[in-house]
Amino acid sequence: MTVDQLGLLASAIAGRTVEVAAVEPGEPPWTDGAIVFVDGEASARDQVRAAAVQACLLAAGSLAPDVLRRIGRRSPTGRRYLGIEAHRALAAQEAVLPLAVRGVIDRAIAARSGSPSASLVLAAGRAAIPEPPEIFGAIRPQQVRPAPITGTGDGEGEHVPRRESEQVLRELEDDEDRDGGSGFDLFNPVGGGGAAGRLLRRLLGSERGRGGGGEPGADTPTHRATTGRRVAHRAALSAATGALPDDPDAGRGRGAVYPEWNVHARRYRAGWCTVGEVEPEGEGREPLVPPDTQALRRPLARLGLELERRRRQPDGDDIDIDAVVEARVELAAGSAPDEAVYIDTVRGRRDLSVLVLLDVSGSAGEPSPTGARVHEHQRAAAAALTLALHDLGDRVALYGFRSLGRQAVQVLPVKRFGDRLDARALGRLAGLEPAAYTRLGAAIRHGASVLEAEGGTPRRLLVVLSDGFAYDHGYGGAYGEADARRALSEARRRGTACLCLSIAAGTDIRALRRVFGTAAHAALPHAGALPVTVGPLFRSALRRAEAQRRLSQPRERARARLRIEGSTR
Amino acid sequence: MNDTAGPYYVPVGHEEQVFRAAFRQGLPILLKGPTGCGKTRFVEAMAVALGRPLVTVACHDDLTTADLVGRYLLQGGDTRWADGPLTRAVREGAICYLDEIVEARQDTTVVLHPLSDHRRQLPIDRLGVTLDAAPGFCLVVSYNPGYQSVLKDLKDSTRQRMVAIELDFPPPDIEEKVVAHEAGTDPETAARLVQLGQAIRRLETAGLREVASTRVLIAAGRLVAEGLDLRTAARAAVAGPLTDDPAVTDGLARMIDAYLGEDDG
Repeated sequence: MTVDQLGLLASAIAGRTVEVAAVEPGEPPWTDGAIVFVDGEASARDQVRAAAVQACLLAAGSLAPDVLRRIGRRSPTGRRYLGIEAHRALAAQEAVLPLAVRGVIDRAIAARSGSPSASLVLAAGRAAIPEPPEIFGAIRPQQVRPAPITGTGDGEGEHVPRRESEQVLRELEDDEDRDGGSGFDLFNPVGGGGAAGRLLRRLLGSERGRGGGGEPGADTPTHRATTGRRVAHRAALSAATGALPDDPDAGRGRGAVYPEWNVHARRYRAGWCTVGEVEPEGEGREPLVPPDTQALRRPLARLGLELERRRRQPDGDDIDIDAVVEARVELAAGSAPDEAVYIDTVRGRRDLSVLVLLDVSGSAGEPSPTGARVHEHQRAAAAALTLALHDLGDRVALYGFRSLGRQAVQVLPVKRFGDRLDARALGRLAGLEPAAYTRLGAAIRHGASVLEAEGGTPRRLLVVLSDGFAYDHGYGGAYGEADARRALSEARRRGTACLCLSIAAGTDIRALRRVFGTAAHAALPHAGALPVTVGPLFRSALRRAEAQRRLSQPRERARARLRIEGSTR
Repeated sequence: MNDTAGPYYVPVGHEEQVFRAAFRQGLPILLKGPTGCGKTRFVEAMAVALGRPLVTVACHDDLTTADLVGRYLLQGGDTRWADGPLTRAVREGAICYLDEIVEARQDTTVVLHPLSDHRRQLPIDRLGVTLDAAPGFCLVVSYNPGYQSVLKDLKDSTRQRMVAIELDFPPPDIEEKVVAHEAGTDPETAARLVQLGQAIRRLETAGLREVASTRVLIAAGRLVAEGLDLRTAARAAVAGPLTDDPAVTDGLARMIDAYLGEDDG
């Protein structure tokens, strides 16, 4: 048994996601707010107790930045603070503690304090405080990261708290440097499992066996059309609508112009934003190590190839009662019945194009609760999604976006639909660095228009990877959120499915809902959570777009008829 | 308040009063709550308490309007109309419970609209008739908002016609009673299972599809009642169904050990 298996237990007690790792030999247990370090050699019971104590300190707010600042480096105060505060924290969390841990609580001590600050006052005073037991470990004030941001307010004020937290963190990191490192590093270049080794393995093709040929076990897709007889009709319709005068990509070129929704006036500002495609600056960079997409490919592979029950088929494994009844009625009425009276289960054809929009604005440079910057998480997710979909044979494109005011919205094509997904594309992805602001609406409009013009498949999906923090000059708070929402619903109305993913960002679900509206969206703790969630999310987004296409068809038909009437006149 | 003959249900808030009031006013009811928190049991208990028959439809992707309303069947060369469950409930004045309504396609649920507002009518195109709902008819739908909040959602026009009752997992003391009663375990076992459930619910998703529901806790309790020891029962009924991920399984096993292990503290 290893200590990292205690992660769930510690998270349950702390009420937030934390990991558990082994502490360096001879050191007492402690936590930096994201990881709880316990003695890997101790007995299972002591490991549970030590992890529970540290998790309780996190849950009870004992390690809040303002308290820790007041402790500073005065080690005796810290020790005394732990001696009283740990008992208080344990008692406060008692309801969620395993029985074995409850035994360490000294209720007499716990009763002396009612809050972290009260404990601190006692610790700084002269009252006798018993030395905390060994398994309580230690507090390292300089190395505790602030808790993740769990809520952002409304409006322009949002920027301020973020900057503050950033500053606190920078101070803490400075301290960390002076202290000579915290005992673990993320980028360990030594060892065969390092980045270089993984890259080599991929290049040398030791994983080739999993490559082509599709997902093992996936049946051969059929090319049967959704609604048999109506296909020709539908194809004719889409051909007719392709060249309508209100086609959104009429003005696409070096600088495409898009409107913006002014929620205060409740109307569009025509020609308000200029979006330019800027080549990413990362040419010739060390390519990003391709992530392992094996886990991700399974849910994605089933998307286009899902078993679907279809009615009124010429053969199948179940009788479509409604069709049979109709056929018999027709027969009785003397007309030739339709013989397609079965329900069949078939796999559809893959006809999906996906455009991934990656937020590379400054806010993605924020650190995430687990350590690395939000940008790293989002970039890893973008790479994994793009590679997995590409491997599965979908048409896929990847664009970064950022902005500097409405005249300078930049989209950075990492991979266009026609580009190869090679080391150069991965180099461009690796070269993306967060900077500037987020004019989410304009980027979404541009992405959707590129997707509709170049995707070339009936089913289209726009994936937006962003922390959902829409901010630019004159584009903050409710205004930006409303415009982003509007841009997404415009795309959906044209039958483009939209999916918004926020990865490792501290933005809470309510704020995301304001920005992404009713588009399918999810907040994931890290890119590793993609395989679990991506299947249902993609499916729901696509299904909704499908329904939208069905609804808008009569409208398109009416427009097409008008056009024909107009031209014959 | 419980009818002794009816299914066991312990009210947590005002849900019974809201249900009764909505029922008397003929308002449709939307039950929201996570999987396994007791939505279906609540409706069953209310149907017995109000003395109405209950018609339950488990919604799924392939559910068509005809499946709900009814269709013509062939009988010896002639067609014969057969009422669907919804039509039957409308005629009899029963409580019609559509479980997990978001699983049904939106074009199917449109048929509920005229039933769920002041008209209380069910138009049946194929018969060319419009049925007025019999007194006592009540439409109840359930819906699980899920942790991916907007993954699946109800159409606004549908949900605005409903009176919403939000259910959640009951507080620990009530949940202990429920587990003890349903599983037939002693209160102490029930309390420890509930404590484990509460702890798992404090986890933020962490790769778990659904949290440990009252339903799985009861299942674990029933295994204990069969003579299994607490930890084996919890692994089989709580950890196993929650995840396939080996790392998460290990973590859950450690949690089960910590919460359900021997009392040595």
